[in-house]
Amino acid sequence: MMRKLALVLAIALMPAFGFGVYTYLGSLKTKAVRATAVKPVETKPKFALPGTMIVIQDGGLYKLSGGTFTELGKAGSWSQVAVSPDHTKLVAVSQNSLASELSLLGSDGHVIKQLTHDRVAILDANHWAFYPRISLDGKTVYYSFDQPKRGYQVDLAVWSMPLNGPQAQARRMTTPNDHTGGDVTPIPLSGGALLYVKYTLGATGIASQIWLQSRPLAAGTALTDLASDCNQPSLSPDGNQLAMICTSGKQSGRLVVAPFDGRRLGPMRTVLAGGLNAAPAWAPDGSGLAYLAPAGAGGHFQLWWLPFAVPAVSASPSGSATAPAGRLAPKQVTTDVDLTPTTPLVWY
Amino acid sequence: MQSDPNFSPMNPALTGTPPEAAIRRLRASRRRQWSTVLTVVLVLLGFLVSGAAGAVVYFWPVLMAGYQQTGQVSDIKAAASAVAQSPAAVPPAGAAFTVLLLGSDDDSKFPADHVLTQSMILVRVDPSARQVTMLSIPRDLWVPLSTGTTEKIDGAYSHGKAAAALATVEKNFHVHIDDYAWIGLKGLIKLIDQVGGVDLVVSNPVLDDFYPSDIDVRNPYGYTRVAVLPGAQHLDGMHALQYVRSRHNDLQSDFGRSYRQQQVLLALRAKASGLNPTDLPDLVSAVSGEFKTSMGLSRLRELLGIAQQVDFSRIHQIILTPPYTSSGQIPGHSALNPHWDLILPLVRQYFP
Repeated sequence: MMRKLALVLAIALMPAFGFGVYTYLGSLKTKAVRATAVKPVETKPKFALPGTMIVIQDGGLYKLSGGTFTELGKAGSWSQVAVSPDHTKLVAVSQNSLASELSLLGSDGHVIKQLTHDRVAILDANHWAFYPRISLDGKTVYYSFDQPKRGYQVDLAVWSMPLNGPQAQARRMTTPNDHTGGDVTPIPLSGGALLYVKYTLGATGIASQIWLQSRPLAAGTALTDLASDCNQPSLSPDGNQLAMICTSGKQSGRLVVAPFDGRRLGPMRTVLAGGLNAAPAWAPDGSGLAYLAPAGAGGHFQLWWLPFAVPAVSASPSGSATAPAGRLAPKQVTTDVDLTPTTPLVWY
Repeated sequence: MQSDPNFSPMNPALTGTPPEAAIRRLRASRRRQWSTVLTVVLVLLGFLVSGAAGAVVYFWPVLMAGYQQTGQVSDIKAAASAVAQSPAAVPPAGAAFTVLLLGSDDDSKFPADHVLTQSMILVRVDPSARQVTMLSIPRDLWVPLSTGTTEKIDGAYSHGKAAAALATVEKNFHVHIDDYAWIGLKGLIKLIDQVGGVDLVVSNPVLDDFYPSDIDVRNPYGYTRVAVLPGAQHLDGMHALQYVRSRHNDLQSDFGRSYRQQQVLLALRAKASGLNPTDLPDLVSAVSGEFKTSMGLSRLRELLGIAQQVDFSRIHQIILTPPYTSSGQIPGHSALNPHWDLILPLVRQYFP
């Protein structure tokens, strides 16, 4: 009797075993394929960074302060953001498939007004506005804008417009190279000078350089060479050092720091080699750099912190001293999020 | 008469020979033992079959694809006969082999299998040296096709499918091709999404005001705008396709696009190196109908293995920019003229 019962049980378990094998094989699938990110507000950073940082994920604006993420305003299609010098206003880019617009936001993320009006019915009359940056006096917004356009040519030039004025008062600041993608990531300096990234065709393809321009539409000077392929500049709070990503035409970017005296760069020093590093930003006290790089099975971009052993020192571009003096190992700040790496980090 | 309680005619101790009943009991006992063993064996076999059935069901998409989409040797044989060579023997395991990668805009503007190959990349894989060479063939290259006419090389596939494309490349580049793989637009999107996206450094802003809007739309003749911003990022299938397909605002023209295609291919290779065989059913289901290859499953497995072993520094990328080619105006066409005196030594060097 017992034997028959065992046999019946075994026969009943056979299909279950087959299903179990099927399920087990499914459980062996690579985690990278299935890894999904969670919203920053659902995570807790590993440790708190000083000051306030604004990051973007999946169209939403998030503030990181005191080791906690909070969402700013309603989730939308935000793709890039900048902050005013007094930290009371934001300028953010909202992007759809045909155009992108700049909007002025309060520090809590509510929209005060739309600054640009780039969406029109005729396809190629639409415009892109990217990389906003507010001037040191808080009155002007600098940004990359695809105007003028000719035929198939669409290149970004750096433009500026009054933060409180109409788009009709916008003025072009730079002259991009044709069919390269143009000029991006403006950083307005005092006295009307401008740092930005210019794309140029070099010996091995289109590459980036950090450029300095003293006044609107002036010829400008390249601060880095084409072979180094440097971009994503970030000026230290005291204005004496420039951090940037240099790829040398490769599929990985070094995090590089060089002293800057307002006219030229000093010796460049690699503070972090290799990897898909992006969006470097100086700590408000200059004690290190935050940046974005992938981590985890899904390769999603996380926030990292690279502290310097001693506070970064200023150095003359002509001098032999290089900054920052000494650095520690990078530390991962966030886990499981997927921060947008094509927006410069805002940290104050 | 007092009876002996031990006496029994069936007691073997008394009789000296096994009585019938004892033999029956013994046989019955042995039968039960055998029956038990047989039952256990059958139950184990049942579990084995059941487990195998579970595995077969799991890998069913791969098995079907192995039958339908891979090992399309007829195209290879047709190509071989088109260039008047005997069908080449399959290279032994571990030997270097050459694959022609083809990518097509297979949207509804074109009848199936009469599509152009916007992307043609010749790849030589040397497993023993762990070395990979990629040569992008410009789509506008003006060459005699294996089908008889002289046209841009991207038209070969539309005239005679993969066989014509292979034969045309073999004939013009004097190279032997062992296998091919073809993928359509949606296939590339789904493949990239299925591996979880690709991670790469976008070299410069890729902006296009006239990017084809021809996937899953009623009117495949429309356009849309595209902006892929520079820097390190994680691209999903749709954005990766935009990056490799956009061509209108690139100073390097189609060469820039070729570079971007190789870049995404290498990013895909990096992702593939993290996969294992249990990922294959989802991958195969994702690209179903959008992927064809002459490679058998064993060659595909070999390629996956190589993807895990080859390091980036051993990947050689070649793009036939000037002086290997020059722009030319053939009546009615804007094409690229090949300079074979420069191209062929290069091909001989890297595709011996």
